[in-house]
Amino acid sequence: MDAGKEIVRFEKAGLAYEDAPETLSNVSMALREGEFRFLTGPSGAGKTSLLKMIYLAHKPTRGRFFLFGEDAMDAPREALPALRRRIGVVFQEFRLLDHLTAYENVALPMKVAGVNQNQYREDVSELLNWVGLGDRMDAKPPTLSGGEKQRVALARALVSKPDLILADEPTGNVDPAMGERIMKLFVELNKLGAAVIVATHDLHLVQSIGKPVLRIANGKVTRSAGAGGAG
Amino acid sequence: MMTQADETQEHEESAAEKPARRSLFRRGTAPLLPEAGAAGAPLTAVIAVMSFLAVLAMASLLIVNHAASEWTSALRSEITVQVKGASPEEISEGLDAALRVLNETEGVLEATAQSQKDAAALLEPWLGEGNAEAFLTIPAIIEVKASPALRDNLDLLRNRLAAAAPGATLDDHARWHDRLASAARSGQALAFGVFLLVMGAACAISIFAARAGLAANHEIVSVLHLVGATDAFIAAEVQRRFFILGLRGALIGLFVALAALLLAGLAVRAGGGADNFLPDLRLGGWMMLWLATAPIATCLVTALTARLTVLNTLSKQY
Repeated sequence: MDAGKEIVRFEKAGLAYEDAPETLSNVSMALREGEFRFLTGPSGAGKTSLLKMIYLAHKPTRGRFFLFGEDAMDAPREALPALRRRIGVVFQEFRLLDHLTAYENVALPMKVAGVNQNQYREDVSELLNWVGLGDRMDAKPPTLSGGEKQRVALARALVSKPDLILADEPTGNVDPAMGERIMKLFVELNKLGAAVIVATHDLHLVQSIGKPVLRIANGKVTRSAGAGGAG
Repeated sequence: MMTQADETQEHEESAAEKPARRSLFRRGTAPLLPEAGAAGAPLTAVIAVMSFLAVLAMASLLIVNHAASEWTSALRSEITVQVKGASPEEISEGLDAALRVLNETEGVLEATAQSQKDAAALLEPWLGEGNAEAFLTIPAIIEVKASPALRDNLDLLRNRLAAAAPGATLDDHARWHDRLASAARSGQALAFGVFLLVMGAACAISIFAARAGLAANHEIVSVLHLVGATDAFIAAEVQRRFFILGLRGALIGLFVALAALLLAGLAVRAGGGADNFLPDLRLGGWMMLWLATAPIATCLVTALTARLTVLNTLSKQY
């Protein structure tokens, strides 16, 4: 694949929270269009921090970072929303808006993008049906179980058909069968062209899917020796 | 995208899904920031007070303007000729001569000589009843209604009066007119200053409330950003919320202020104030239209300030 198709590139990037020591150091990695990576490592190793840098929640404190070919370190603030809309994120802690219904939460990326409701109504409905929440569209997150929230978060991440999907422990709160369905969905979306990074502790899942693995330990990102075939 | 969905779609077409689908048409209309609820009540109350003060300031401006206009136009359309003399006979002769001159002068619309009795009545508060005519030679007074053209050039009339009746003097009330105009300008400036201060206070309150709202809804704002919302989109949501709160407060303030003005007007009229020198507090239709601008201004200032505050605050974030 040529260099122009790179969608994520870190060059010796580091991330430190305020005056604390760096959580991530000298991160150099790239993700190309259509690639699939698992991100593994012990708790607190920096998996979520790496994802946060990619979805533009935190700016690297040093090094260089390119997203969809643009220098995300120097990009003007006005350019960031358009970059964020190309990313679908399944947050570990769901981050659903409690005052909105499941339907409204899933429709959120479309609404903020200014898409007419008529254009996304069926997609939102279809996604919620697929994740098994067709009868809970009007339910608000406080009334949903952890697994249901996870599925709403998943639907929200996918509704805008993003170029890059980031999932932080996406199967952590769902039963094994739903976890398997979610992972198969990611694989299918990956085949359709979306790049995917899944942060997970579930090594069994990693092995069953057989995609390359990035391992984070001591703030450094390395390519795991146990990586499977190319994504 | 949903290739797996095909096999699961059918069995998930449950009966419970149908009512959910039926309600799709009303979906997606909820505000992205939660309604203020009870937390919005203090802000509504403060905006109501601001609106109340803004309406009163605007009413003061209009009333002073209206009263000054009435006073000065009355003064400008009338002139007074005073005829003095050493004896009542001399005054009487001078009065006749002055009236002749006035009646022959183009631009004099009406010239009415005040009776000696009326003139004496004016002095009664100071000299006591019946004393003025007994002890003083009271000058004759002629009230003249003059055309604007004559009012602007009184020198010729003044000279003709002086020639015909040496004891006659002409007063064009310029001194009073200037003083009243100056007092009216001061009153208007004061009322406008109060109006601006109220708007400034509304700005300050809105800034504080918008910052507090952003802090309280930090997580929601963060999620909106992460799903691709622009600062302008978030600011528009906040602006919408403040506009609704502002409109509610502004209307409450307007109605309370109108009630207060109505009561004040009734009190002035009951005391006979409007027949003397106090301004008439009755509000005409055009005045009501002007008064409506005060709550609208309060509401717009509140909403726009909130928008700018949010844009400024968000611009400092990543």
